[in-house]
Amino acid sequence: MKKRTLRKTEPYMWIAPSIVLMAIFIVIPIFSVFRTAFSEVSKSGLIKGFNGVDNFVKVLSNPDFALVLKNTLVWTIFVVVLSTVLGFILALLLNNNFRGRKIARAIVVFPWATTLVVQASIWTFIINTDFGTLNTLLRTLGIIEQNINWTPTPEAWFAWEIACGIFVTIPFVCFTALSGLQGIDSSYYEAATVDGANYWQKLFHITIPLVKPSLTVATVLNIIYVFNSFPIIWTMTKGAPAHKTDTLVTYLYTLAFYNGKRGEAAAVSVIGFLILLACASVYMVSTLKKGDE
Amino acid sequence: MKKFLAMVLAVVMMLGLVACGDKKTDDGKITLDVIAAEYGLKTKEWWQGFEKDFEAANEGIDLVVDVVSWNDIYTVVSTRIGNNNAPDILNIDVFADYQADDLLLPAKDYVSDETYAKFYQSFLDQSVVDGEVWAIPDLASARAMYYNKDILDAAGVEVPTTWDELKAACEKIKAYDANIYPWGVDMTQDEGQACFAYYIWNNGGDFTDAQGNWTLNSEKNVEAIEFIIGMVKDGYTNSDPATETRYINQDMFGTGKVAMMIGPNSIPTYIADAGNTVNYGVASIPTNTGVSVSQGVMDRFMCFKKDGRTDEELAAVTTFFDFFYEDERYSDWVIMEGFLPATSAGGEIMAAADPSAAAWIDIVGSSKFYPTAKAEWADVKQGVIDVQQKALQGGNVKELLDNLQKEIAG
Repeated sequence: MKKRTLRKTEPYMWIAPSIVLMAIFIVIPIFSVFRTAFSEVSKSGLIKGFNGVDNFVKVLSNPDFALVLKNTLVWTIFVVVLSTVLGFILALLLNNNFRGRKIARAIVVFPWATTLVVQASIWTFIINTDFGTLNTLLRTLGIIEQNINWTPTPEAWFAWEIACGIFVTIPFVCFTALSGLQGIDSSYYEAATVDGANYWQKLFHITIPLVKPSLTVATVLNIIYVFNSFPIIWTMTKGAPAHKTDTLVTYLYTLAFYNGKRGEAAAVSVIGFLILLACASVYMVSTLKKGDE
Repeated sequence: MKKFLAMVLAVVMMLGLVACGDKKTDDGKITLDVIAAEYGLKTKEWWQGFEKDFEAANEGIDLVVDVVSWNDIYTVVSTRIGNNNAPDILNIDVFADYQADDLLLPAKDYVSDETYAKFYQSFLDQSVVDGEVWAIPDLASARAMYYNKDILDAAGVEVPTTWDELKAACEKIKAYDANIYPWGVDMTQDEGQACFAYYIWNNGGDFTDAQGNWTLNSEKNVEAIEFIIGMVKDGYTNSDPATETRYINQDMFGTGKVAMMIGPNSIPTYIADAGNTVNYGVASIPTNTGVSVSQGVMDRFMCFKKDGRTDEELAAVTTFFDFFYEDERYSDWVIMEGFLPATSAGGEIMAAADPSAAAWIDIVGSSKFYPTAKAEWADVKQGVIDVQQKALQGGNVKELLDNLQKEIAG
């Protein structure tokens, strides 16, 4: 009897530390953010009491919020879609047999292995009008005579930030896709070749369907990472000018730590959390449905 | 046996997690918990030396100084306040939000009369709310115009003293070399409020009127901001004032890319540390009223209230400040990162050691300060930065300032 009880409880004992850790590092912070979002918080950080949906009303009635939300969607869609397409193409190239393949794969990892702040600082340095390396290079090659201002408008800044985001996200997609590609049995291609299929037919009817599960996981994770990404935008523009390059995460940071509006910042955080939850739910529901089939 | 081990392991891990953060040292000493702002590369080392000297001179006090960078200090302090774990003493720039939440002790409660008498009165006045001083100044800095002598000479330009002269000088510098930015401007999140202050103060405007009511959208303020936005649009400034901080401008000034800029007294040290040399001069900030106004920046010490604090513990706070503001030690603190003193004795020692500092000590004495004692300051600061950045994008300065005034003053 005693042995049976122990056998039943043993798995729970093993996972107990993880549950405790998850509670401390995930559940408590989420609870704390929700509590702050529905509280009046003083500028010095004291919670003064429950204030219903006041923080949400203030956030949603601020015209800047709509702009920030639009920026967040543009940022997430462009970075995720383009990095997925480019990462997949790169994975196809790296899946071929060629000399120096290992070195090429190692090089692709570099952007991933470098801190985002360093990446963003380097990009800022490259495109700087006055002492940037891009202008210096173009001048040295004789392509331009005068320095070009690569960031004349907020939209141009945002485009560069998106480019930097794509550059650092490609390795993740590339390696996830590559692991999927390597799992495809070569006999499928051999059979298709015998049947007279061309490259594109093989790509669309064998490769993509079989890599799809890996790409789907990569995309869902990417949406979450990119949506919540802070360092690139913060390092390059801090959301300036006037929120034109702000996303939800940089906006809430400014609200919390520059404006001292922690309640409103927590409300923005909750809104972001709910958007991501909705995205993740779509994925979960579709996965569960497939599991049922 | 394996199961038993597993159970022990799980219990130990859980206890380990629970035990995290519980640190209690009980050797009968009074612990003084200080959070200090990191002003530069030398700050941490200076505080380490201070801690050692202080503890040697006061055996019953255990001094713990946590030096935190400016990027993190607001987060650290608000998190600690939110967790009911405020420090005893805090060194930071703002105080009004803490005072508004009734978290601070009046300065007279913990600063000895002898130390209190050392401060410049104009500095103490910056920390008054309801007739009471809530914080004491630890150092100051002031702003003036720096100009590149070589560029001005080559372009045949006299040092500008008025806005008209400034505009004319910029035009000439631009004509002399289109690659040089005549005037460095910072409207970024970092210090856009300073830019706002330079121009409104030198156009006879202000953040508030004499009664302390907000006057953000006054005619003079609108005119001042339209002037500097016009300078940007005319191409007389660095290309992207919304993202180029003062430090980027200082770098460009150090390399001769920017001809003139407004900055603090620490610029020469900054330029030398970056390995640049520039033939520079210092002059008053150009004005539109005939009287140049400099901007003063002042940081503070404050003492947080604590439940059950004994007289002995409060006396330890007094001892800390008496020790810190001892004349020699205090001037060492100020000189360490190239700032200006907030005490008259410190000023005298510094002026004797470095004659060039004497002029700056005069400037700081007559500077204007941000209205940091007002609880709305944090909103105003962000608001004026936002106004300037939106104006750069083509927004109407008057409308933007009207909206801000309505938002702040109701």
